[in-house]
This record gives sequence, C-alpha cells and structure tokens, in this order.
Amino acid sequence: MGYGRGEVYDEMVTGQGRLRPHWQTFMGTLGPLDPELMAERWEEARRLLHQNGVTYNIYGDPKGMERPWPLDMVPLLIPSHEWKAVESGLIQRATLLNAVLADIYGPQTLTRSGRLSPAVIHADPGFRRAVHGIAVPNDIHLHFYAADLARAPDGRWWVLSDRTQAPSGSGYALENRAVMAKVLPDSFRHCQVERLSPFFEAYKETLLSLSPRRDQPRIVLLTPGPYNETYFEHVYLARYLGITLVEGADLTVRDRQVYLKTLSGLEPVDVILRRLDADFADPLELRADSSLGVAGLIEAVRAGNVVVANALGSGFMESMAVKPSLPMLCRHLLGEELKMPGVAVWWCGNDDERAYVIEHLDGLVVKPAFPSLSFEPIFGADLSAGERAALVERIKARPWCYVAQERLALSTAPVWQGGRLQPRPLVLRVFLCARPDGSYTVMPGGLTRVSTESGKLVVSMQRGGGSKDTWILSGRRAEATPAMPRPQPAQEPQPAPKAASADLPSRVADSLYWLGRYAERSEGTVRLLRSTHSRLTDGNVPGASLQLRPLLHLMAWEGMIPWDLTRVTALGGGRALRAALYSSVVDPDHPNSLRAQVQRVHRTAYSVRDRLSLDMWRVVTMLERQSQPPPHKLDAAAMLLRLDDLMTCLAAIAGLEQESMTRGQGWRFLDIGRRIERALHIISVMRGIQVHALDRQDEPVQVATLSVLLELGESVMTYRSRYLTSVRRRPVLELLLADESNPRALDFQLAALERHVAALPSGSQAVPGDTAASARSILGAARASLRAPDALDSGAALHTLLDSLALSLPEISNLLTHAYFSHAFARPA
Amino acid sequence: MPSPDRPDLSPTIAGAAPADEHSGDGFGVRFRVRHTTRYDYAEDVSVSHHLLHLTARPHPRQRVRRCALTILPGPAVQSSHTDYFGNTVTYVAMQEPHRQLVVTAESEVEVGPPPTLDAALTPSWEHVRDALGGLTGPEDGAEVVQYRFDSTLVAASPTLQDYAALSFTPGRPAAEAALDLMQRIHDDFTFDPTATTIATPMAEVMRHRRGVCQDFAHIVVGCVRAVGLPARYVSGYLRTLPPPGRPRLVGADVSHAWASVWCGAEAGWIDVCPTNARRADQDFITIAWGRDYDDVSPARGVLMGAAGHTLSVSVDVEPLEEDGAP
Repeated sequence: MGYGRGEVYDEMVTGQGRLRPHWQTFMGTLGPLDPELMAERWEEARRLLHQNGVTYNIYGDPKGMERPWPLDMVPLLIPSHEWKAVESGLIQRATLLNAVLADIYGPQTLTRSGRLSPAVIHADPGFRRAVHGIAVPNDIHLHFYAADLARAPDGRWWVLSDRTQAPSGSGYALENRAVMAKVLPDSFRHCQVERLSPFFEAYKETLLSLSPRRDQPRIVLLTPGPYNETYFEHVYLARYLGITLVEGADLTVRDRQVYLKTLSGLEPVDVILRRLDADFADPLELRADSSLGVAGLIEAVRAGNVVVANALGSGFMESMAVKPSLPMLCRHLLGEELKMPGVAVWWCGNDDERAYVIEHLDGLVVKPAFPSLSFEPIFGADLSAGERAALVERIKARPWCYVAQERLALSTAPVWQGGRLQPRPLVLRVFLCARPDGSYTVMPGGLTRVSTESGKLVVSMQRGGGSKDTWILSGRRAEATPAMPRPQPAQEPQPAPKAASADLPSRVADSLYWLGRYAERSEGTVRLLRSTHSRLTDGNVPGASLQLRPLLHLMAWEGMIPWDLTRVTALGGGRALRAALYSSVVDPDHPNSLRAQVQRVHRTAYSVRDRLSLDMWRVVTMLERQSQPPPHKLDAAAMLLRLDDLMTCLAAIAGLEQESMTRGQGWRFLDIGRRIERALHIISVMRGIQVHALDRQDEPVQVATLSVLLELGESVMTYRSRYLTSVRRRPVLELLLADESNPRALDFQLAALERHVAALPSGSQAVPGDTAASARSILGAARASLRAPDALDSGAALHTLLDSLALSLPEISNLLTHAYFSHAFARPA
Repeated sequence: MPSPDRPDLSPTIAGAAPADEHSGDGFGVRFRVRHTTRYDYAEDVSVSHHLLHLTARPHPRQRVRRCALTILPGPAVQSSHTDYFGNTVTYVAMQEPHRQLVVTAESEVEVGPPPTLDAALTPSWEHVRDALGGLTGPEDGAEVVQYRFDSTLVAASPTLQDYAALSFTPGRPAAEAALDLMQRIHDDFTFDPTATTIATPMAEVMRHRRGVCQDFAHIVVGCVRAVGLPARYVSGYLRTLPPPGRPRLVGADVSHAWASVWCGAEAGWIDVCPTNARRADQDFITIAWGRDYDDVSPARGVLMGAAGHTLSVSVDVEPLEEDGAP
C-alpha cells in the first residue's frame, strides 16, 4: 500500500511491513483505499464537525480564534489486552498522584522525612499555600486526570506528562467519536469498539457524589470564558453532563457559600467542575489581579460549603521536579512498583541528577521544572559551546528550576494525507475519573493527536497538529457478546438535556439583552446608510436631492458624519463627504460606524455563544465577515450591494430569534433589548429629522422628509397599500408612532414591552417588587401619551411628546439592569 | 477591585514613657497596641471580602496576653484560621451596603529581650547554606528551607546577588554578614515615603536607593536568598522612645516591617531592621511573618460596587505597668 516505515514503532504495521492482527478487521471494512471514497468521507466528517461547531482557539493569534477542529479519518486502534495494561498502569498512577497531593496539602511527611526534597514544594510557584490543610471529601484532590502517553520503539507505552490541573480533551474525544461513528458506521460496528458514554455517566455520578447537600445539588462548570483555547469543550461538556456553564462573574460568595446569580435571584452552588487554573480562582486569597475568579471561594471551600473538582492546588502534580521520585513514592505510598514507566527525567535540584544532566546535555532536552516557569524546551544537541556554558551557569545558579528529559522517539500511526496513508508521530491522551470511593475509572478511548510532519517530535494542537478518534477493540466476538441489559444507542453520544432555564445566569441575560440592542441598532444603521448611499449613487430616484438633505442631517445627528458635511447638495457629494460616508461604514475606529456596531454584536454574541444555535452563530460570523473593511476600496454600487448583504444577515438574525429560539427567559431578554432599541431609534429619528417643525417647511421638503421617515421605518409598502394617497404628515406619523399593528411602529414596541415586563420573573428576593411596577407605569404613560387626542397634530405637542419619551424610555433599561443583571445588593434567601 | 493596603506613615500618638517596663515574671516589656485601619469609600460598597493579618503572633520572645479585632459596621462573617506560615488570619465579609469600614486591632503583648548573640561566633554563611539539607527537629529542613526560594514579590537577581556579595564575603560568620548587610542598606538607602508604593518593583528600589521599611526588608530578604540562605519578612510594630537629645526613630508608632535571617541551627533566626540599623529588640512587636509582604499584608480586600477609597491608618503603641495599667 506504499505506506512508508521508519525506525520507530508503527501502530498499524510490524517492522516487517505486515499489518498488525488487530488492524485486519478495520482495514477489511474500510475496503480498498480509494482516494475518492476517502475524500468523500473526509468531506462528510468536516461537514459534521462544522455542523456541530467544533472549534478550538489558539492563544495569542487573533486569527486563531475558532479554528475548525482537525480530525483524521483513520482511528487509532488498540487491542483490549494491551489496553488493560494501560488502564491498570494509569489507575495506579492516578492513585499515586492523589496520594502525593494528600500529603503535600496535608501532613507533608514526605518532605519532613526527607524522602522528597522540600524544594520540590517550596520552589514551585504552583504550590498553593492558601489551600494547605483544607480537608477534601474522601481525601480526593484529583477527581479528573489525564495522561499523555507515547509508545517507545519496544512497543511499551510511556507517560510523557500528567494533566492534573483541569484536564482538557475528553469533550473533543467524545465529539470525534460522534463523527467517526457516523462516517465509518460499518467499521465501527464490526470492530466492537468500547463505548465512551459509561465513562461520562461515571463522571456525572462522581460530581453528584461530591455535593455537601444531598437534595438536588447544583453543579456548575466554571470556565475562564470564550477566549480560552478549549472553550468549545467547556460548552460541550456542560451540555453533555447537563450542568450549568458559568464564568467567575456569575458566582458570588455570601455567608461562606457560593451562589449563582440567576434571574430569579441567588441560587446556592454545591459543586464546581473547575476548568479555570487555581491561581485565578479567588482574587482574595490567590492572584489579586484575576478577574476570572470568585472572591471568597477558598473561604467557602474551607467552610465545607462547596466542593471544587479538581481540588484547588491539584495542578501541583504537573511539576516535572517530582517526576524522578515517582517510582520511589509509589513503593513508599502504595507498596507497589510503578507499573507504567514515565519518560526519564532528571531534576537539577538534586546534586546527583544535576551532575548527570550537565555531563549528558547533548542527549537531553532541558525544560522548566515547574509549569508556571514557562520557557521553550532547549535541545542540548543544538547548542553552541558558548550557549551550552551559559545554560550550565543558569542551571547552577537556580538548579531547582530545571529538569532534563530524554529525547523520545514517538510511535507513528497512519494518517490520510495527500491521497494516501502516511505514518505520522502521535501522542495519546487518556482520561480518568475518580469514583466516589476514591478508586479510578478509565475512559476506554482517548484523544490521539498527530503531528502533520513526519519528523516532528512535538505534537500539539496549539502548534497545528491533527486529531484522531481512539478505538479500544473490546475483543468480544459479536455472537459471543452476552445480552445487553438494554439496547445500545445506534449512535453515541446523546447529549443530556440542558440545565434548567431557571439557572439562566444574570450575565447571560444581560448579554442577550445587549445582543438584541446591538443587532437592532446595526439594522437601523444599515437602513440609514443604504438610503443615503442610494441617493448619492443614483440621481434618478425621484426626489433624490431633496431626500438627501434630511438623510445627511440624520447621519450627523447619529454621530456618523461631521455636521459641516450636511450642507453638500450636489449629487455624488463632495470628496470629503464621500470619504466620511465610507468611513461611517467600514472604519473600526469610528465609534458609530457600522463596522464598530457589528463588532459589538459579534463580541456580545461570542460571550453567550453557548446559548445561541449553530445557525445563529454562523449568521453572526457571516455578518462580522461582511462588515470587515474590504481589501480594495469599493465603489458606490459595490458598497450598496455590500450593505444589502449585511441587511440580509441582520434580517436572518432577527428571523432566527423569532423562529428558532425557545421562548425562555433568555429569548425574552433578547427581545426586550430589540424592542427598547427599536423604540429609542424611532424616537431618535423623529427628533433628529425635526418632525415637529415639518409644517413650517415647503410642501416638496415635507414630502421628501416624510418619505425618508417611511423608508427608514420600513413602512413604505404599508403606507401605500393603506392610504393610496400622496405622502402626508398625519397618516405617516400615525403609522410610525401610534399604530399598534405595525411591527415598526413605536406603539408596537411599547405593547410588546408591556407583555414582556408582565412575564419577567418576580417575587424573588433578587428583584425589588417595584421594578415591574415602575416599568409598567413608564410604558403605560408612554402609550397613553401617544393616544392623547392632539398629540400628533400640533408641532409643539409632538415636540414635547418626543422629548419626554426620549427621557423616560431609557429608564426601563436602567430598571432592568438594576433588578436582574447587577445583583449588587441581592441577598440570598 | 483588590486593594492590598500597605502599612503607612500616618500621624501617630506617642506613648507615654514607661515607669517600669518589666512585668512580674521578668519575661519582658508589656505593651498595649491599638491599630486602626479606616476605609472611606466614594460610593456604597455592596459586598466586600477582607483578609486580615492583624493578630499579634506568639513566639518564644513574645507572649500575646489579649487580642481583639473590632470591625465596624458589624460584619456578616468573621472567621479566623492559621495560615501556612503559622500566623492567625481573619476572613471578614461585609454584606450590607457600607461607605466606611473601620478595623481596630487591639492587643496586649509582652516582649522579651533578644537572645545574646556573638555574631563572630556563628558558623560561616557557606556552612549554614550547605547544612540546610541536614536540618532536623522542630525548625526542620522543610520549615526553614521554604524561605530560601523566590516568592511573589521577591525574586533573586544578579543585582541583589552583587549587592549581597559585599557583605557575604567568603568564610564570614553568617550573623556578622547579615548585620553588615543591614547596616549597608541603612547607610546606602534613603527613607522616603514618597518614593515607592506597594507596587514598586524591587529592581526600582535598588536603582533609586529610596523607599520605606517594607522595601528595605524586601531587599534584605532578596539579598540573603541570593546567596542561598533563608530569610523571612516580618510585619509588626515599633515602639518609639524619644529621650531628650536623641533623634526620633524612623518608623515610630506605625506598622513596621523588618527581616529575619537564618543563621544556622544554633543561632536560629536573627531579626534585623535595616530601616533603623538595629537588631529587633523589645521595642519590636511581631504580628506575622511570611516570605514577603504579599503573604502577610495587614489587610487585603475585594470590593463590589466602589469606585475608589481613601485609607487612613493609625497605630498607638503604649507601654503598660505591671498591673496592666497604662
């Protein structure tokens, strides 16, 4: 099959180039390796990944946000007998690491007795003194653990590194499985692949068992937020496990208890699944500059009112300095030999090991001893004599900061690349979870990461590698399988239902509210820009020159162009005007430009991505792309087309809001935002265009201005069909302000807001009872003033009406913020 | 926002001169210390969390007879525990809107004289350094060695190492080197409360040679660690006795800070005050020690709802008679 072989161990073929026995079934089901067929499958997989929105972020690269997740079509196959050894080795290792944590954060007999150098603890910036001595339930510090494994040329699996802080990747493994089970259903069935879902059931069970409160415990997944590299996974896992995804700002500590700020008030939190590094978890006792954490969290843990998993401080076991001692610690703490070897590491904090490192530098890779000291690995062989001497000096000055590692030859697995299978180096991440009794269970599978280049020794998603599903072959023959107690689902995994909507965090409601406002504001802006550009492009529009004047006036009123450009009368405008108009569309530094507004939409939507459907998110992404400054300057006609496209995206967002969102409190706040913004926009346009002074103008000017109002108010068609007459002041105002049946009219928005306010959560301790009443009275007064007999007749009355609405309606926004979003003065029940 | 507060030079009330400084059993001098920290906020603070290191710490030379923390307005939660370094730390939560917070720590302590020290007879600093691994007993290796490494605010640097090397000359007795370092910092650096804030990095203090007691204590700690010995940061108070004709001691009746240097198993920890160029004696009242200021800052807090605050601190150290009367 033209599959190259190197010196290293290959997962699929033996040194003699023969297919390994456990690959035979799989290769049989795959059939002939037809490039076209493989390409089809690959497309299908990509489509599924895209559909499911699987992405990851690359730090420090603005273009690295939301990278599509790379998945190879050939899974890594591991036979069951081999997997049993991996399982038992990793269970032992997890047990050992947990026992070391229990000692380090407890009696510290290991350092006091001299078995472990005290420097291993005290020189490590990752040792969390603040949590020392705090008891954890069942002595479990390490609830979730992952190990990166590599296979040596002799075929043995070795541990490359341990993930004990907040292991990531299990959600991606789950997603890879969901895709592969669909893309290669026959292979999947015939190969008798071990299922992943029981592992996640155990995961959920473990979380539940940790709760200090037995009755309906509330579990949350604490994420650093959308800019974290594995945010997709946080969203995915929270949904899959049916727990609430929260950021630090969603939580607050009162009376040494953690609470979730929800729309209906403060709800106690019992268990925190932590995906935030411990250092950032509590600005009071840990890093004071962290804005991602929860002040008082450690005190709540100390009081036993909340359990954090992994326990704060568990990241300590990622230290490389402790690795050389693990075989000794295993004998001492567990009375057993370490089953699975770790890659050889020498810690320079010990004199003998340091001497060895300095002597053998050429064959070693020097790395930071502690994860928080970040520097790139140094390959001894690559150093000049001078660099080498300098490195030795650095090591001698602060020996405890350095470890050296053996260079490792990674095994290879077949990757479908360039129309054929090619061997590529791999690292396998395996996941474990603690059971309530303190034992560990292993996920039968894992996240295999492959390098895209054959010679590469570093495999990392951050550096652009690929991933594979990992199939553990159960080894049972189909007919020999004992009857299952219940039928296996045709496809796994099936996500659990989402967390109850009562748990809608206030931050999310706040963001949805602003998403509604920003989206609506962008719509108003596009309409205004489109109307203005069309008058400038095409002088043949009837009344173009007369209509341009109020449009430019409005643009200045809305802060989009300078006032002195509004006097331009010639069609086509002056050069300065054209430049200003262009910048009002695309200039990101112009605070009121369309681009700036769309960026607000995108940013706000990003912060609540987990609450939006994939379609919605896709449209928001498209909107953002369409609003980017074009590489070449667009001419006026192209600009109009671009504005049309943007309008289409915005209309799609509005449509999805109405047609694809469940009518929960989240939707309600989104729609409230939209209605308030639209109401304010109508009032602003009326005031900006000085509609109260209209009767003092000549008839042609009146008509031109009213036509602009109808166009911006998306009500031209309605007007024509209803009135069949020329454009006149009274009916236009009637249609745009007081008509409850016109979805663009002010009164329509007010009526909708009245219904929303009546349905808001109330009666809880969080919401002062008078909020709804105050909002209702503002809305009631506004509607009554529209209905006043002469409100729309005299210019003076209209002037007063609009001015007073411009003052009273924003107050609703303030009331909502205070009652539902800020929780500054909320008290737990 | 987090607001670590630094001991400040604020108006002080000088204590009356004592008639008889010694208590009945001859242990040492008795003091009553009243330390008031007052925050005034520009707006209502809805919720605030605080961590206080304000309870005097007992140690072989210091007895703590009484210690009380009063917090106004009354906190929703007040709870104390012992921190990693053995200090008492108090967590306080305010959950009602407040515009002012007044924390008063009142303690009665008795301070014994420092043990006699013949600095020239302490082992060489290299010997003390090399013996760190073999320490046993209550001040065992793990306990002492933790003060030997970089900490949040103090990181070894070539500058510190070069400065330290002039005192830690080959073969010099450890305590002698430590006292020489203390004297040099006192002579080379200018006490200047306007020169630094709590956020000023050590490198800048080294460059400008100006700062306050806290900066100088950090420099001792950094220099001592740079040569491989453990050093602690000590937070406390200094009583002043301005006898006629002699200058007032800098740092009088304020929160004070000094350093403690490990001089070997026999001599143990030697407390040195670079601000006043003297060993800590019966005028030094210890609150807490740690690796640096960040471990033992008297008050740190996280507030919700406030735009800014003003802070005022007053410290009153009052010597007491035998019967406890001032």
